[in-house]
Amino acid sequence: MNDRLEKHLRESAGFIDALLASAEQSDASALAIRRQAEVPESTQKFIAQFSTPLPPATQKLIDDFVESGTQLAQLTDSIIKTHFGSALLDFGLARDTAYLENAKAKYLGKAGAVTELLKGMAQLSPEEKKTRGAEINRAKDAIEVALKVRRESLAAQALNKQLAAESIDVTLPGRGRGVGGIHPVIKTWQRCEEIFGSIGFDVADGPEIEADWYNFTALNNPPNHPARSMQDTFYVDMNGTDGLPLLLRTHTSPMQVRYAKMHANDLSSKGTPIKVIAPGRTYRVDSDATHSPMFHQIEGLWIDENISFADLKGVYTDFLRRFFETDALQVRFRPSYFPFTEPSAEIDMKFDSGPLKGRWLEISGSGQVHPSVVKNFGLDPERFIGFAFGSGLERLTMLKHGIGDLRLFFEGDLRFLKQFA
Amino acid sequence: MKFSESWLRSFCNPSMTTDELAHALTMAGLEVEEVKPAAPPFTKIVVGEIVSREKHPNADRLSVCMVNVGSNSSAPLQIVCGAPNARAGIRVPCALVGAELPPGDDGKSFVIKQAKMRSVESNGMLCSARELGISESHEGLLELASDAPIGLNVREYMGLDDVVFEIKLTPNKADCLSVYGVAREVHAITGAPLAPSPSRNVQRTLNDVLPATVLAPDLCGRFAGRVIRGVNAKAATPAWMRERLERAGQRSISALVDISNYVMLELGRPSHIFDLDKVHGALEVRWAKKGETLKLLNGNTVELDDQVGVIADQNGVESLAGIMGGDSTAVDLETTRNVYVEAAFWHPAAIQGRSRRFNFSTDAGHRFERGVDWETIPQHIDYISALILEICGGEAGPIDDRTVNVPTRKAVTMRIARAQKVIGVAVSADEMSAIFTRLGLQHARDADKFTVTPPSYRFDIEIEEDLIEEIARIYGFDNIPALPPRARAAMRAQPTDRRSLHELRRAIAARDYFEVINYSFVDELWEKEVAGNANPIRLLNPIASQMAVMRSSLIPGLLANVAHNAKHRADRVRIFELGKVFMRDALANDGELGIAQVSQPLMLGGVAWGAVVAEQWGERERAVDFFDVKADVEALIPGLVCTKATHPLLHPGRSAKLSVDGQFAGWIGELHPEHLKRFDLDHAPVVFEVSASLAQLNKGAAFEAVAKTPLVRRDLALVVEQSVESDALIKQLNEAADPVIRAIDVFDVYRGANLPTDRKSVAIRVLMQDTERTLEDSEIDAAIKKLVSRAETAFGATLRT
Repeated sequence: MNDRLEKHLRESAGFIDALLASAEQSDASALAIRRQAEVPESTQKFIAQFSTPLPPATQKLIDDFVESGTQLAQLTDSIIKTHFGSALLDFGLARDTAYLENAKAKYLGKAGAVTELLKGMAQLSPEEKKTRGAEINRAKDAIEVALKVRRESLAAQALNKQLAAESIDVTLPGRGRGVGGIHPVIKTWQRCEEIFGSIGFDVADGPEIEADWYNFTALNNPPNHPARSMQDTFYVDMNGTDGLPLLLRTHTSPMQVRYAKMHANDLSSKGTPIKVIAPGRTYRVDSDATHSPMFHQIEGLWIDENISFADLKGVYTDFLRRFFETDALQVRFRPSYFPFTEPSAEIDMKFDSGPLKGRWLEISGSGQVHPSVVKNFGLDPERFIGFAFGSGLERLTMLKHGIGDLRLFFEGDLRFLKQFA
Repeated sequence: MKFSESWLRSFCNPSMTTDELAHALTMAGLEVEEVKPAAPPFTKIVVGEIVSREKHPNADRLSVCMVNVGSNSSAPLQIVCGAPNARAGIRVPCALVGAELPPGDDGKSFVIKQAKMRSVESNGMLCSARELGISESHEGLLELASDAPIGLNVREYMGLDDVVFEIKLTPNKADCLSVYGVAREVHAITGAPLAPSPSRNVQRTLNDVLPATVLAPDLCGRFAGRVIRGVNAKAATPAWMRERLERAGQRSISALVDISNYVMLELGRPSHIFDLDKVHGALEVRWAKKGETLKLLNGNTVELDDQVGVIADQNGVESLAGIMGGDSTAVDLETTRNVYVEAAFWHPAAIQGRSRRFNFSTDAGHRFERGVDWETIPQHIDYISALILEICGGEAGPIDDRTVNVPTRKAVTMRIARAQKVIGVAVSADEMSAIFTRLGLQHARDADKFTVTPPSYRFDIEIEEDLIEEIARIYGFDNIPALPPRARAAMRAQPTDRRSLHELRRAIAARDYFEVINYSFVDELWEKEVAGNANPIRLLNPIASQMAVMRSSLIPGLLANVAHNAKHRADRVRIFELGKVFMRDALANDGELGIAQVSQPLMLGGVAWGAVVAEQWGERERAVDFFDVKADVEALIPGLVCTKATHPLLHPGRSAKLSVDGQFAGWIGELHPEHLKRFDLDHAPVVFEVSASLAQLNKGAAFEAVAKTPLVRRDLALVVEQSVESDALIKQLNEAADPVIRAIDVFDVYRGANLPTDRKSVAIRVLMQDTERTLEDSEIDAAIKKLVSRAETAFGATLRT
């Protein structure tokens, strides 16, 4: 029974507040409500004392609230009902614990209204005592329920007030250090490693000051070969152990040779394929908006017993589509020439949307590794074949982001770098 | 290589549009880089003949011409013209009223209207070559041949509806360095019929021979020449030849030079025409001798040695073999009457690299380096001679032809199965045979293989793969499927004791550093004065002096980045780079991944400059200092030890050497104030540079039971001399620590009031715990007492009270 009352009171906890708020338009109305509660008298009689009656709608709300409360508390005696009703209002009006405890004393204290009622039972017959006593006790219980509800509500209000006072502007920026970022070309590098790593490619890197043999001769490009003029080479003031000047590697292809030599035995004796990408810095004597004297390449190499040109087409086409995240990317292979591959292919790609849409864009050089190069790996070219490719990481990055000027990558300008954080 | 489409189609004319032809060439490996009309668009310009020319009555520089435009007008047109060469009798391009001239720079075409010029009516315009957009020449009206058909559209008459192809040839395609060579490819790709190679017969009327001897068969395999006497060197180059040359990007020079160039472009045959009267005695073909010099046609004088082939006469060297002729025997417009036409086979290996040595390149050298057909030398000399006789007149002697050492063409075998395996497609043997036929490759099939004998114009067919490539190329790369890769699956995992470089990057980026990439070559001054490297590795051919040496440190580049950003109003810059540095290293050896005498370790460098935290509402601004950056580096490399040390780059009081487990790891410190100016900075950044491979190390986790007993903390304030380093103090305390002591750390350093000026108070937190039992107060006190007394004996420390 009191559960229902408690529920009713909880649900209407905001009722008195709302009432006061609506009555605040008129001081008199607010006062009227207050007075109503302060004096434990019959509501009607009490209201009659005031020149300013409550607006009938407000009065009705109060009456309904009290009425449903008394009904739930199963009170019938009009005096008891009145006391209970004014207790409800009085508790509702409590704005702090002190007021609430005072209000409590008015009803449940030593000289409180309910206590007085119990005292007044002395003259009653045992029969009447029983029914009236039960009614008074119901009223007492109900008042305690109302008190408990109000106490909780006041505690909640106090907490809310404190929390409100503690509230902050959550839209202000966070404090402390920010987070930096990784260079866009390196992000491309990383992405290439992830994509090729997903089908089991290892990653390797090696020297940037490189020996002539690894950069050229081992790749079937001996001194004075016309193909050497395809790449303008930086030389340093030191000679290798072969007496030829050391150079800055013009491509990542020397890593084909170094890595394959290191793993040739695994392939020929254990059948572990040579499957590697080698991203890194490369250098050529060239400098303008589309050429940088230093740039990044990624080399790929897959050597096994049966890796064909058709496999190269498959792997590289798949790579480009995964890299640019579109199956609509067109890829074409066209014959070309590199000393270290045969057949050799230049790879072009074409977007079907975006600003570069519809144009063939050169993206990579590739081909079946030349048998002389396979021999330089320390492998039998009769038994082992496979493909290699080399792509520019800057080029991939520029196409991915629509960057037009290569030089931006090497200026260290935060206004540029922060865009890729 | 550039040439006009019409020239190409005169040999092989497939029924394809220009674009289709260009695409077919590109997809066969002859990349068409540009397809450009030979002339810009224009209309209603016809051949007109100036019938009469009168001076303009009202203008000195203008003339009034009556122009016959044939059926385009019932009567000659009156046209006012300003060209100085306007005169009666010449035929010139005449734009009729309504003609549209080529678009100007604004892209709009100009329409010819009937007009009055200084009150004389003008009904058209006579045009210069520049006005037609076919040449920059603005030397008055373009004079056409005297037999140009009057009234004929000029585009038709001059063949201007032509297209110029520019092809980027790969070094292996020596056979395509001529229009005829490209035509052979077009035939192979399209199957359209190929016209025979142009040839002419020459009527021999003289017996004169210029004796020649080949002394170096390893230089020259075949040498041939012919004397032609009585030529008119001043003869005009015919328009058709000039036009083809010009569209091939070759300026017309004189008839003799033009003929030589023309045949080189058409047939890929470089030749040289000597002024016979300037040749002294017999010719000899030999390696040059050290000390010999030659003044070349281009005016340069080169010094020769025994690596360079020459043609010499008794006076000395006359020509750089296969590359360029000499000045002293060059043909001359005014004086040349008798010539010697020479063509030879120079071994590619004897020519390769030579012109690069002298820092120039020539069309002839370019071809000989790659290989030129030796078999057709006499036919081509005949062709050149015939053109000379036709254009310049004269009488020809016999061809003196000496074959001393020409290559032999070995048959190359291609196994059908091998080709199919490499290409990845089962191209049928019949198809392979058809491809060889179209390529003009003599071949025979023997069961499972083909034997191919390459022609003398192919220098790129020596091994099986060369033939496989030809099959794949003509079969069409587009027709080879893109197969999804199929492979044995094997797992790969990053070892746990090393993190990847990308993880390292993410770790430093997470501490608010942005990654930059700087060039590996820097200004030598940076190396010497900033990095303290007196002998950096130098580039022999740097592109600029500020990129002349290899860096031995990442820091100067990073400082330049800070300066760059500061210039663009950044007030806080935190950047890092992961890159190699390069040093001479006597101990370095050649190895799997190494180069002797060079060490090139990968380093991680960083710079922090400006406020420690970007300016904001919630934090007091403070400039980044040593300890902020030290924390960043410590976060990267656990167990990092700083030892005070000086470096030319760094503030001597605020710099340290870094090490891990006793191994040198790098440097950290504030930039030395004397370098601020060099980098144009107003306050000092803090920099660090550490070995990336050390930073990659992951210390494996070593599990230890989590103690259930309470942890005891005691704080000590030890007063020591200012110079006592906290690491040294902690080290001593650790040595004196009882086993129950879990950790000893500095948590505060105080200087100032209540302390002598030469002293500081170091607050130390001591954590004690026994995993098994709760510690007794007496044990705790005893342990602390030991620490205090050790501090006392080692550093004269007193307890601050």
